[in-house]
Amino acid sequence: MRYMRLMIFNFVIIIIGLFHFTPVIAQDIELTIIGNTESVPDELTMNQLKSILRGEKLRWDDGKGIKIALMKTNTPVGTGTCEKIYDMTGNELNKYFLALVFQGKVKAPTFFNSVNELESYVSQTPGAIGVSHNSTTDLIKIVSIDGKNAF
Amino acid sequence: MTRSKLRIVHIISILICLSVHLKLSAQRTQIKGFVAVQAYQEDGKFNFGIGEQDLFITSELNDNFSFLGETVFKFSPNSSTQFNISVERIIVNYNYKGNHNALIGKHHTPTHYWNDTYHHGRVFFPTIERPLLFAAQTLPIHTTGLAMQGFNLGKLKFGYNIMIGNGIGSNDVVDNDSYKSVTAAIHIKPKDKLQLGLSFYNDVISEGADLHHDITVDEKINQQLYTATIAHFGRKFEFLAEGTLASNHANSTGTVNSFTSYLYTGVRIKDKLIPYIRIDYLDYQDEEIYFIKDDTFSFLAGMRYEISYLIVVKMEYQHIDKEMQGNRDLFNTQIAIGF
Repeated sequence: MRYMRLMIFNFVIIIIGLFHFTPVIAQDIELTIIGNTESVPDELTMNQLKSILRGEKLRWDDGKGIKIALMKTNTPVGTGTCEKIYDMTGNELNKYFLALVFQGKVKAPTFFNSVNELESYVSQTPGAIGVSHNSTTDLIKIVSIDGKNAF
Repeated sequence: MTRSKLRIVHIISILICLSVHLKLSAQRTQIKGFVAVQAYQEDGKFNFGIGEQDLFITSELNDNFSFLGETVFKFSPNSSTQFNISVERIIVNYNYKGNHNALIGKHHTPTHYWNDTYHHGRVFFPTIERPLLFAAQTLPIHTTGLAMQGFNLGKLKFGYNIMIGNGIGSNDVVDNDSYKSVTAAIHIKPKDKLQLGLSFYNDVISEGADLHHDITVDEKINQQLYTATIAHFGRKFEFLAEGTLASNHANSTGTVNSFTSYLYTGVRIKDKLIPYIRIDYLDYQDEEIYFIKDDTFSFLAGMRYEISYLIVVKMEYQHIDKEMQGNRDLFNTQIAIGF
């Protein structure tokens, strides 16, 4: 009986632990699209966003070059970006851009380790668009996607 | 000039130098490399070998200009070091509007999807080696010249590439004659990961021109290449087929048509594992004087294991049946990496 109670106690502890310490998985992360205040539009459709972030469009409507800023694919925001926007794994995304750059068709995106670095780059680089999470700085604009500021 | 004016001039000079330096240091340059090592069974013995080492450099010079360079270090038995350096691509790209570029330099001629996509990056190749139409030298792999290029235009993601350059028989610095080669390639992407393409290549090859396969052309040849491509690289299925009708016209033979092609297909059965096959078929008309008339049929079956996008292992069996050289069976294993 005592052994049984101990087992139940351990089981409950493990379940509570799992709820508390399970890391935020990529699908749960809300993504925010941020842009430099110069050239980047205030709103886009999801299809337009996907096309831009896939490197299919090189310039904004005012002629300024598009510069893509992404979190590294091994970060939670990077993994969420791969899944929600590119429909690829991190490995597939890296291969996709390496192949396109190798063909000379696009400029490589800039990858970052932290959201702060990414937001700093976007705020200082005209034409830059990036995928962030819970952005709070006033130095960049939030680009609404299909009318939403986060998805 | 007074001392104070001189000082101002000095300060302005220093500021100009600093601003130039800052602009230059803002330039983004990336260096990548690709290499492969192989183990293969041939002529009754087992061999190890290293493949080409490909050095790939890109640099964004400003918002409009960029540079791409690809240099290969490869085995060459005739060199004193047994290695040669080969400049494969040197391209200065000017993005003048939207998705439209003007490019000048040495290019991979965009007649074929394979030549325009994989270049020398073995880690990208779906099979260990290129299709046999490359080894048979039936296409002009490089063109040095000027290109106008556009891509992802409109709903069908239309793309074009018009290239004018030194023709066959010329080298990287001088044309061997006054004729220029013209390449026109178009493609559409009607669905995600599907590309349909057509290309046309025209050149006049002068009498006396030295060709890559140690042949000197005895008389002037007018050459046209018509190529069709279907490429689909989805998450599950991969399919790539290219066929070229080569038309060579000489006064002594009239117009001679040869057909070269290959078909590749693979299925991703697990996340990283892709079994595949490739069939190569080269058929030359009897009167052919420009290509080496060596009708070829080859069947290849293999397995690709993608450890990551930078490390790929391939194992293959290939049966080649050639008119001049007879039958051969090859077993080959390759580890291709990007670094």
